[in-house]
Amino acid sequence: MGHENPAEQAKIILRTRLCNPSFIFSLFSQSPDSNYSKLKYIISSSVTEACNNSVLLLGPRGCGKVAVLEQVLEELLKEHPDMISVIKLNGLLHSDNNCALKEIARQLCLEHQLLFSKMASFDDNSQFLLSMLRECGLAHKTIVFVLDEFDLFAQGKQLLLYNLLDAMQSVTSQAVVVGVSCRLDADQLLEKRVRSRFSHRKLLFLPPSREDLERLLEHILLLSTDSSLPDDYTAAFNAKLLNILADDKFKGVIDTLCYSDSTVGHLLRFLFSAVCHMDMKSGFLSLENFKSALPSIQRQPKLEALKDCSVLELYILVCMKRLEVKELELCNFNSIMKEYKSIHDAFQTSDYYARNVCLRAFEHLLQRALISFDDNRGQGHSTEFRPVKLLISWHELHQGLKSYRSCPVRSLGV
Amino acid sequence: MVKEESPQINRRTTRLSSCTTPNSKASPEASKATNRSHSLSINDLNFRNEYITLDELINSFPGRRAKIIELINLLGPLNSPITPLFVYGSASTGKTNIILQIFKHLNRPFTYCSCITCYNPRVLFESILNQLFLHRKNESNGYLSSKRCEKPSDFVNLLREALTSLIDSLKGNVGKSGSKKSSSQVNGKMVYLIFDNLELVREWDKSSTILPLLFNLYNILKMPEVGIIFVSKSSPDTFQSDTGYAEPFPIYFPDYTEDDLRHIFMKNQANPKLYSSFLDLVLRPFCRITRRVDELSTAFLPLFKKYCEPIGDLGTVPSEDMKRKLFSHIQPFISLTLNETFSVPSQPFVKASANKDRRKSIKKMFGVSESLDVIDFHMSTSAKYLLISAFLASRNPATLDASLFDSTGGSDIRKRKRKSSERSKDQKETKELELLMKGPGTFPLERLLAIFQCITSVAEYSPVDEELQNGGLGLEGPDSGLMSDILLQLSSLCSANFITKGGSCPLEGSTRYRSTVSEDMALKVARSLKFPLSKYLFRR
Repeated sequence: MGHENPAEQAKIILRTRLCNPSFIFSLFSQSPDSNYSKLKYIISSSVTEACNNSVLLLGPRGCGKVAVLEQVLEELLKEHPDMISVIKLNGLLHSDNNCALKEIARQLCLEHQLLFSKMASFDDNSQFLLSMLRECGLAHKTIVFVLDEFDLFAQGKQLLLYNLLDAMQSVTSQAVVVGVSCRLDADQLLEKRVRSRFSHRKLLFLPPSREDLERLLEHILLLSTDSSLPDDYTAAFNAKLLNILADDKFKGVIDTLCYSDSTVGHLLRFLFSAVCHMDMKSGFLSLENFKSALPSIQRQPKLEALKDCSVLELYILVCMKRLEVKELELCNFNSIMKEYKSIHDAFQTSDYYARNVCLRAFEHLLQRALISFDDNRGQGHSTEFRPVKLLISWHELHQGLKSYRSCPVRSLGV
Repeated sequence: MVKEESPQINRRTTRLSSCTTPNSKASPEASKATNRSHSLSINDLNFRNEYITLDELINSFPGRRAKIIELINLLGPLNSPITPLFVYGSASTGKTNIILQIFKHLNRPFTYCSCITCYNPRVLFESILNQLFLHRKNESNGYLSSKRCEKPSDFVNLLREALTSLIDSLKGNVGKSGSKKSSSQVNGKMVYLIFDNLELVREWDKSSTILPLLFNLYNILKMPEVGIIFVSKSSPDTFQSDTGYAEPFPIYFPDYTEDDLRHIFMKNQANPKLYSSFLDLVLRPFCRITRRVDELSTAFLPLFKKYCEPIGDLGTVPSEDMKRKLFSHIQPFISLTLNETFSVPSQPFVKASANKDRRKSIKKMFGVSESLDVIDFHMSTSAKYLLISAFLASRNPATLDASLFDSTGGSDIRKRKRKSSERSKDQKETKELELLMKGPGTFPLERLLAIFQCITSVAEYSPVDEELQNGGLGLEGPDSGLMSDILLQLSSLCSANFITKGGSCPLEGSTRYRSTVSEDMALKVARSLKFPLSKYLFRR
């Protein structure tokens, strides 16, 4: 389908690239001092020299830790077929020991065409793991354990980590443990007995530098000439794109983007938005696409919620602000209503509503997460008595009121 | 009658049925047939035979044109991968409805799970898997799910298995049908998972593990053929977790503006001229209070009936003169309705189907004053007395119990009152503020029972005789055989949320109670018993 329209095809190609991390991070695999080369060296040397090893990949989310690891493993599986088997665990799913061992056994069985028993006990599974480690060691086969969200495995007794790392102390076994975590202090979370068995190799993944970012943009957005697209379209598309990339305005957009978050993940979301809104008539990306993509991913939820508030809800917020200025240590619906009445008495506003109407507006504010209950104390109380606090700053409130079209609160001297 | 209201109601009923039984509403025979045959095909993962065009889609949602086009752009052309989307906006802004209708328009396979009906992880997991395995609970399988799945790790394994087989069959589907398209066939080989009402997951027991799992599901699955869409009432910044998660792409649905609301309410009106003149009057004042469609439509429904009362024929086009007459007719009702909470309960768990009595009693518990003087629910006399004594125990300071309820009855209260007024004004104000802040106080069971005995024994005599009965009151309680009944009543009052059980007192160790009824409510109950409540109420 869609062969008729090169623009649509180009869109699909770009979206496929943006959703495929291994394509994006393949750019960095060539340079010798990249994390890719380092990681590949560590794992391949322990495969070829038949030794045990462990390494931690640390860095913020969206910096390609898992993508690089997958690339390395894929490459190594090609280079040394039948010498590596990969076991993948995720801290979100397998932080519980029982569960983790079961999953290891399941993947080992799958890998080696063995029959997996769902009913196997914890003991059976750990026995199985140990004997598999020995067998694989004798066959000079390396088992690579990938532990994603490594910090979650360090909760509780760390039995799984201990068992794995302890089994690796023996000469017969041959295994690599790769931990991936976005907590930079992940190795500090380990118990002493686990830490002493861990080789302290750490690879740090950082957001790309400015030059890398520009290379990355070209890598992602330029269409390759050997695709099924018509040549003249590809050429025109690329020429137009290079024009945009060199534009100072575009560089300004990228600067504001990186100002808040310069990880690749953030950049990808930005590009995704730009590509999605590509004009299908002209079939090319325009500077406007990038400009409009910026506010769509850098959202200000509190200001948005403020703009949605009705007049009565704004009144309540202003009352809360006034109470805050008065420096009362506690604030709840009743004290707000008192303040509301005093505002009404002082300024004779037309917006004076019954208490239950205000209570509902108050509940709407709670739903909008502009205010929240102070703490979990007083659970038994009804809503009116529970202490609340304002979740927006004075500045935000003022900005919200100013942007409101028919703001009545300006007369209130706030 | 109001157009936006009818899809609202439709949505409530069809939200689930529209995805589990795609055509139960549209064609009952067809759905019966699929039920009987038990063999569902992949084409059941969308709305069958219900294709709508883009224009219809945009026209059915006034004021949402830009959002619909943005969403369609983000979903992209056929078979294009997508990053997880996060659609948010406050209640009744059309998030779920628009997304479901867009899928109806695009005719792509999806699964829909609302975290309201899927109230815990296991139900959520199994509901998704049931839809993916094309499994429907019915009599023959004992209403069981296709797979039993409790742990997240099992869920991900099963989900991957289900998705792989589904996508394979979708690919086969595409190959078979070639270029010719039939309306009942799903488009493309992407499968979309929609999670609605995600904000509720935050309240779940295991929210700290389930939320990161859902947000990271796309990265864990690593399947480009899967699209994930979250729908939530609260913004992404309210979903916090320790180590964060892969952020989904945010899409914001703002509240309707006044103009949008006018378009929404003007849809499908029998007499647009008449309704428009009605909206001229009511829309502006009501928008100052709330802009939620559901609340406005429930408020407008009775008001419009009132508005039409003077006119015999509803089809008439109102003249200027008539409009003025109608305006003066409706004017008093507008301000009256403005100061009433519309009868839509704000809490989502109170279903609109709840019977009237229950809703009213709930309203009361939230401190809503009713103009009626009678209480409209049944309660035994002893329960009423118990309610009053709980109210007294919560409001009065414990130190005053003796003077209020001792042999002199309520006569002492006046002296107390005067005494309190002698205090300095400052002190009084701080006390008042404290009461406002702290709310009703807590009390132990013994105090409640003591007050209960006192007031029931008083009530056995008429208030006129009270002075004569000095001395004997404290001794003559209701006989102790009633005691178990009283405790039973207490527990039922607790479960009805009139009295809440608080934590135990750290010093005494006994459970403490607190009354949650408002003063109006207590007075009303007292009036129904002819009990002089105000006499016993300590006022600072």
